[in-house]
Amino acid sequence: MPTSDYHNHARWPLPQGVVDLFYEDAAEKRHLEHSLRRLFTSWSYDELIPPTFEYADTLASEAGTQIAEEMYRFTDRDGRTLALRPDLTVPTARVVGTRLYDQPMPLRLFYVGPVFRYERPQAGRQREFTQAGIELVGAGTPAADAEALALIVEALRLAGLQQFQIVLGQMAFFRGLLQEIEASAEQVAQLQSAIDRQNPQDLTAALDDIAAAGDVRRALASLPDLHGGIEVVDRARDVAMNETMASALEWLAAVYPWLEAFGVTQLVSFDLGETRGMQYYTGITFKGYTAGLGFAICSGGRYDDLVGHFGPQQPAVGCALWLDRILLARQRQQGRSQLSPASVLVAADGCPALAALMSAWRSRGLRVELDLAASSPAALRERAAQRSIVRIVRCLGGDLVALEAEGAVRELSLDALAREADLWSV
Amino acid sequence: MERLDHAGAQLQVEDELVIALPKGRLSDDALALLEQAGYGLAAGNGDRQLVLRSVAEHVRYVLAKPADVPVYVEYGAADLGIAGLDVVRETQRDVLEPLLLPFGYCRLSVAAPAARSDRPLRLEPNPRVATKFPRLTEAFFRRRGVSAEIIELSGSVELAPLVNLADLVVDLVQSGETLRANGLVEMRTILDSQAVLLANRAAWRLKADTVARFVARLRQILES
Repeated sequence: MPTSDYHNHARWPLPQGVVDLFYEDAAEKRHLEHSLRRLFTSWSYDELIPPTFEYADTLASEAGTQIAEEMYRFTDRDGRTLALRPDLTVPTARVVGTRLYDQPMPLRLFYVGPVFRYERPQAGRQREFTQAGIELVGAGTPAADAEALALIVEALRLAGLQQFQIVLGQMAFFRGLLQEIEASAEQVAQLQSAIDRQNPQDLTAALDDIAAAGDVRRALASLPDLHGGIEVVDRARDVAMNETMASALEWLAAVYPWLEAFGVTQLVSFDLGETRGMQYYTGITFKGYTAGLGFAICSGGRYDDLVGHFGPQQPAVGCALWLDRILLARQRQQGRSQLSPASVLVAADGCPALAALMSAWRSRGLRVELDLAASSPAALRERAAQRSIVRIVRCLGGDLVALEAEGAVRELSLDALAREADLWSV
Repeated sequence: MERLDHAGAQLQVEDELVIALPKGRLSDDALALLEQAGYGLAAGNGDRQLVLRSVAEHVRYVLAKPADVPVYVEYGAADLGIAGLDVVRETQRDVLEPLLLPFGYCRLSVAAPAARSDRPLRLEPNPRVATKFPRLTEAFFRRRGVSAEIIELSGSVELAPLVNLADLVVDLVQSGETLRANGLVEMRTILDSQAVLLANRAAWRLKADTVARFVARLRQILES
């Protein structure tokens, strides 16, 4: 038997698809999460913290077959199947439907947390990844769609991405088109896949397979080309065949003035061939892309039937940012951030009065690192250099300390040190 | 937070197109088409260079192994690429396929030694199948409920039945000459393949105009 590490999986310390974050990567992620919480709060959204696992039935109910296959499932002691949440929209819908249904609408909720999907390793896919998202429940209007979109644009700007674009799809348009044909679920999936990949030959084959002819064929065949600016909506009117399709287009036309009002039209394009995504979407859909990354950085849409699955029906729209991908894109575009080092390294042995001073510095927000080894001045200097710490305070006994900064050593009283430290910036 | 300068060399410039081309079988036809469309190779590209300039200022080519082209495109290292449908389906990369190109025609087929009895494949309990396309091969047999033992080889697949390494092979067939020379007969086609233009999903949006112009130009050539 081979004995290399490759064959001894039992010695691999980490399963596939999960990552450890530390130093600047951890700091950047938390910093972004913190900024997004503040942003969402400033738009009057309240945080929801749902559990990490729930009954598998709840999570899979309307999430679609693909995501149901990708759930991490395990069994509770009473024999019921549990699953780690594969997204945060379904838990939000469950909470609203079962517990918040009688609150004044609209409800504005946001969440930040990890989700879990058993995906085969592929570009940009992890099995545990973090989503930060918003859900606007109880407002079934174009203005609500525009608010969700404008807030997501704001969030991507805040994240510091240099160039990004959000693609708007309209699930209702495709659903309307499906009313005109008779096709099995598998045939529809084939159709969606061909349209999604823009593959003309596969699309022809899929259309032949369902014997699509005349206007229906023309409409389905035109989907891959129906992308661009707002003029797409006009072009699509030519192939609209029923009330569902017509009103789906009117909806997009009604969203557009709101996007102008929010000043985000430059960052938005339309694509009626965008028909993949969660099965629970019923209307507009969002998908964001940024330079240097081949896959979506945010996705969302309108889901008017999902809350009703758990309680009284409520229209809803939402969008989630894929934080790990956004951080990756930002690092590619701008490089890594630098971890901020401690402000001061303190060797306090013999100066009990330093304790009060350090405590005051820490409450001001300074990072204060304590020397635990009664180190020599040289060892302190080496430690400070390793950790990029620019100041050293060393107890000389009694009321006296040595302050080393900018290559100079000075002897100070504790009072003088306290006055000088007031000038240190956080 | 402070930002460090970005150390990595940036190949991608806004509105510049990076196109991944396959070395080998498809390369001559691909270059001929690009030449015709006005995107031919510029003079002065070195023999061993892997990044090549085009006569069109904003277009650059990277040369890759055919099976790697979809990978370059999915990750956005190239905005566009040219590859055979066979490798696109085998690698299952998440890319757009906006334009089929009229060269590189071949088929992925199941073949067996000519001496094999004409027993249907689905009656085989556990056939050993040698291939360079393990995913497509597995999908083909699994779909029929046949539990095949897939033997992944990186070349000379036709040899496998001769040395009793496999009962069947799944391989690309153009004329069928190679199969015949090795005493194999084609039984079933798994996939009809030809060259296809691939596009990265983000580039399709973010460089929409540049990409659309390029695709339209190729389409124009193909239709003329």
